Amino acid sequence: MTLQFKPNETFRSDFAYGKSDADLLRFPFPFPEDAYMYSVNIEPHVRGGPTAAFAHVFDIDEHYVAECRERALVLAEDPKRCQVLPHMEMAEWDTLELIMESLAADYPDHFSLTKAGDLWTWVNRPLGIQQSFTFGEAHTLPYGPFEYITRQAQGDFTLQDQRDDNLYVDGGMVTTQADWSLEFNIGMTFHEWHGPVPLAHEKGVFDRALKYLLRLQYGRPVRRLNWTITINPRLDTSPENYPVWGPDRTTVTSENVGEKVHLRVELQTLFRLPRSNAILFGIRCYLASVADLARVPKWRRRLHRVLRDLHPEIQAYKGLPRYRQMVLDHLAPFDDGAPTSPGIQSDLDAL
Amino acid sequence: MTDQGIKSRPKYQRLALDPSGRHHLLLIDGPALSSEAADAGFDIAACETWIVIRRSAVPPEPILAEAPGAIRPFRSTAHLFSALQDRLARETMGLRIYAAGTEDFLWDIHGIADQAGMSRQELRFCHVGSKARRIFCVHCRTITAGVKTSIVACSGCGASLFVRDHFSRRLAAFMGVQVDAEAPGEVPDAEEIYA
Repeated sequence: MTLQFKPNETFRSDFAYGKSDADLLRFPFPFPEDAYMYSVNIEPHVRGGPTAAFAHVFDIDEHYVAECRERALVLAEDPKRCQVLPHMEMAEWDTLELIMESLAADYPDHFSLTKAGDLWTWVNRPLGIQQSFTFGEAHTLPYGPFEYITRQAQGDFTLQDQRDDNLYVDGGMVTTQADWSLEFNIGMTFHEWHGPVPLAHEKGVFDRALKYLLRLQYGRPVRRLNWTITINPRLDTSPENYPVWGPDRTTVTSENVGEKVHLRVELQTLFRLPRSNAILFGIRCYLASVADLARVPKWRRRLHRVLRDLHPEIQAYKGLPRYRQMVLDHLAPFDDGAPTSPGIQSDLDAL
Repeated sequence: MTDQGIKSRPKYQRLALDPSGRHHLLLIDGPALSSEAADAGFDIAACETWIVIRRSAVPPEPILAEAPGAIRPFRSTAHLFSALQDRLARETMGLRIYAAGTEDFLWDIHGIADQAGMSRQELRFCHVGSKARRIFCVHCRTITAGVKTSIVACSGCGASLFVRDHFSRRLAAFMGVQVDAEAPGEVPDAEEIYA
């Protein structure tokens, strides 16, 4: 596979970000039907799916190098975006092993891992890294093992400890989040950290999801998609920086709505870890502008219908009210009322 | 009191003895247990009880019997917390802690118990007294104490914070989020709702 990285992209200030045709067609569009409501939409994380984003254990795309640089910037500004509680050290090594082995197997042109007993050598060619270290000895790496490897991955990650028939979010690397704070949430139970989500508690979504995840098995990861709307291709929409990015929501006009408003999709993956029995939660973020999505007939029809009919409480929770009508006015002329095929695939081979 | 429907907000119950406990330690933010804090059948004589009398002149007593029925007075909550840290470092399995008081009092105890390795199942809390809240500013990490209003100025960065019902047990505080972040200056009137 050939990946042309775009190392000069930015996700702040000048927002020098764009999608190639291939990158748009691999976008994990989050709506399998023309309406949206919370559900336990969890499925096995097997190779292959409706778009190329599902082809690998951890998806790498053309934005990889630029996203790793953005992560380093956020961590330089706020080191507490990566925290792991002390009892999670084994889960840190589990994470490092899983990500290194998966990337080396899935992308041999870009990553390699060689082992001589506990002496491992990791090569990351896109970032120009070669690192030898002793597995299990944190002082042989420049950062803790969890921070070390997640600085070289796209998307956020959290570590869940399983005890008392519950999951506790006891660690994370969180720099590309949809408005939740690791510093505030670390140590919370499953229901506590989902506390602010409307409607889903009453529907029993979190009770069922927790029961399911407590039984998650090693070697059988699962995935789901989640989504929100973000103004500008900004990865760091943290509560910490809400005063920085919140005003963006007032800058949408009927002229710029297609370029400003982005559908933000999280490809969420969950892995049972072998030594710690913890769960690694990957939250891989994808951004596509309304203008980009409007290039795909099925997706523009469906996005229009979903946003038009969205439950008011979900609209408010996702921060849509200020500009939702402008998005609808922009998309409505593209929606001819034709039926759409079930599932999220684009139904196109090329643009 | 309003309810924002956020599930991390703690719920409290009147105290009832946990029959699986081997030793019961009752911590009261005041001189006596309020009648609204416990079930009618709550047997205070089954507990070792620590009270806070808020006077400097309590003589420092030698540690009394760590036994049911003993009552030990403290000058302040901080005085009690200091003794609790020392006590939990010596404790063994089977201790149950019961606490009655303000949320600040309850969740400071939770933090001390957590540090000592106790689990949530070994603690029972009843919230009595002031409903004032501790607010953690999610933007600058300053904690503003004694907040009684729906919106408060952060004592660290000055932001007008909306008081969310989202509660962190680790920080022992509710979250404050700038209310006018999207449109600076659009600050609704604050209402006193946590008196």
